[in-house]
Amino acid sequence: MRVLAVCLLAFAMLAAGAGAGAAPAPARGGTLIIAEGSDATTLDGHRYTDSPTAERMEHICETLFWLSPEGRVEPRLATAFTFSPDGRRLTIRLRPNVRFHDGTPFNAQAAKWNLDRVLDPATRASFRSLIDRVTQVVALDANTLVLLTNAPFAPLVLNLTHGGVCMQSPTAIERLGPDEYARNPVGTGPYRFREWVRGDRITVTRFEEYWGEKGHFDAIQWRVIPDDGARVAAVESGAVHIAKRVPPRDVERLRANRALRVEVQTSLRTIFIGFNVTRPPFNNRRVRQALNYAINKEAIVRAILGGTARVSDAPIAPGVAGYAKIMTYEYNVERARQLLAEAGYPNGFRATLHHPVARYIRDAEIAAAVQGLLRRVGVEVELVPMDIGSLVAFTNKPQAEATHQMYMLGWGTVTGDADYGLYNLFHSSQWPPAGFNRGFYRNPQVDALLDRGRTTLDQAERNRIYREAMEIIMEDAPWIFLHSESQVTAYRAEVQNVYMHPAERLVAMQGFFRR
Amino acid sequence: MWRYIVKRLLLTIPVLFGVAFVVFVMVRIVPGDPAQIMAGQQATRELVEGIRRDLGLDRPLLVQFADFLTGLLRGDLGRSVRSRAPVTEELAHRIPNTLRLAAAGMLVATTVGVTAGVISAVRPYSLVDAVVMVVALAGLSMPIYWSGLMLILVFAVWLNWLPAVGSDSLAHLVLPATALGFSSAAIIARMTRSAMLEVLRSDYIRTARAKGLAERVVVNRHALRNALIPVITVVGLQTGTLLSGAVLTESVFAWSGIGRLMVDATLNRDYPVVQGAVLLVALSFVLVNLVVDLLYALVDPRIRYE
Repeated sequence: MRVLAVCLLAFAMLAAGAGAGAAPAPARGGTLIIAEGSDATTLDGHRYTDSPTAERMEHICETLFWLSPEGRVEPRLATAFTFSPDGRRLTIRLRPNVRFHDGTPFNAQAAKWNLDRVLDPATRASFRSLIDRVTQVVALDANTLVLLTNAPFAPLVLNLTHGGVCMQSPTAIERLGPDEYARNPVGTGPYRFREWVRGDRITVTRFEEYWGEKGHFDAIQWRVIPDDGARVAAVESGAVHIAKRVPPRDVERLRANRALRVEVQTSLRTIFIGFNVTRPPFNNRRVRQALNYAINKEAIVRAILGGTARVSDAPIAPGVAGYAKIMTYEYNVERARQLLAEAGYPNGFRATLHHPVARYIRDAEIAAAVQGLLRRVGVEVELVPMDIGSLVAFTNKPQAEATHQMYMLGWGTVTGDADYGLYNLFHSSQWPPAGFNRGFYRNPQVDALLDRGRTTLDQAERNRIYREAMEIIMEDAPWIFLHSESQVTAYRAEVQNVYMHPAERLVAMQGFFRR
Repeated sequence: MWRYIVKRLLLTIPVLFGVAFVVFVMVRIVPGDPAQIMAGQQATRELVEGIRRDLGLDRPLLVQFADFLTGLLRGDLGRSVRSRAPVTEELAHRIPNTLRLAAAGMLVATTVGVTAGVISAVRPYSLVDAVVMVVALAGLSMPIYWSGLMLILVFAVWLNWLPAVGSDSLAHLVLPATALGFSSAAIIARMTRSAMLEVLRSDYIRTARAKGLAERVVVNRHALRNALIPVITVVGLQTGTLLSGAVLTESVFAWSGIGRLMVDATLNRDYPVVQGAVLLVALSFVLVNLVVDLLYALVDPRIRYE
């Protein structure tokens, strides 16, 4: 077999941490306490969907590859990979001498067992779609795994960085059964699961036989503190070391506190207002563009989000492989009025906007701002607030039954690949209820480009393909492109080397307390 | 007396049945699909439908309700859609927390409320009375998410005397119990004051005073005991509120109890957990009411139950 691309991966990450030389030497010991608004949902790594769970699981269970905060694919339980010349065979070398927390050896058999489990529809794996193009998984020898696909599938390696296809102990799952296992996870990570007091806390302790650099904390504990104010007070009083999702209004005040460090990390989550483009008035591109011009995105970010967000200049956020800066509809009321007049709505119109409450950062306030701004161009918007569960169900109806006109939602491109961020949202095969293209956008050119992006292995070529697709999408304006969220996190000053990943997870694996 | 208790307990069965039915229907009327929420916002249709089948949500509603009832008779409330843990287990490890918080809150409420009410009533329209009643009004008007945060700010962040959040020790109980008990204390104080004022004007109090009894004895033994009936009613009602309405307190103080479980379960459309929790709260309401009725007889020997 002639190998097209041999991608031996750098091992630099093991020694690196963050900016090696200058950082103080890691001290061992202590329990890191992290406060978060919500609890984990399930501790079965193949069945969760939310980032709070992803964060806890990442310290317990590892993936074959790891997506660095800079967006690079780095080795983890795999050490190298090669694609066959036809791009349909992915060979992965696995790290030898790795054991799960329960002593079960991690090898090609275990890896195959895990991928087969995700692929088995009966498992109901949440992220099966990440690898569902894999037709067969073969354990070639103890440390070599082969994944076969019918056609080249470019995002495959990036998709394997996702926690939803992490490696869990086959022995534990078979012994406990899926329901019991979901409360007692066993992985290969630097921390092992200790307890889950539901609604209150999850504790993990250092795994002394970890294959890589061992954890420095004796334990890490996640505490659930749903109230924003109480969570912030907890980190101020020192009851916890880290408070996640700090409200933008508290940033300035906390920055003045020398016992704390406040960090703002951009995320891969974009917030948008979608249009149902199959019904008037939003079947008219001019109307959609007009509404984009009518929204002062900078003002929303500045006034409502305290500057802790980034105005979108593409449908996906920077940090996603395939991202390119395309354009931003500048705030221009005159242009908006003119476009509305050209579209036959010189006096505007009425429409409804369904938006979530308390799902995204200050979502209801943003919806209210949009309502106010659209009124200036004659568009009267009725706001319909919903909890996210209801909203997702409401916008998930087939086109013929759908009654939504405008809807605010967000999308986290958690795999860090443009395919995940664009295909699901803009490809016409993804109309509800099959997928997430909830505005029923369809453009044959975009469809063709997104299909090509999936099967092209050369990243430079993919970048060109996605840029072209995004240019068309921005021009078609099936959304009001708002912003990508930032995660604001407050740390006690003694916490070192713990950081927020753009995929909205706190990484504390190599963290420690400064003495 | 025993016959009365048994009769009352038997009466709870139709009440609980009614509650079960109403909750069962209500959680399903609200838009939102547990399978979709569980599968995540970004899930495929196959996955959502697979989960719906696993959960039995694709079956006719009547079949689901019959299933729920037969489970209920066996003491099985089903499994949480989300955590896959039995609902009874989910409830069991939160009940002690909620009971602890409600009991401590009640202690604060009755101690502060009755004392303040008596003090006010003994010196009506005095400065003390005015101050107590203004404080009571403030207590009643302050939302817990605000007063709770203020307590955290002062006693945890500024003074560092007490832990801000959590439910580990007795010290953790002080702030949430105060926040929770304070608004109930206000109601109890106002009720105690008006009941006491009425009693203090009655003939037998004049007689007691005429006998030359010490004022302390008159107030505590003769007046307060007779003023207690309406106070007990209010305390009973407040106990129900404390058990179920501790939602805000539990959220502010990160207290893992039934209230928060209910909110989370509702947002996630975790039907079995919502049903179980509401049934539990309904049961506790019924039981608290029974206890209140029995207390009447204890306080006022003229009341007898047959």
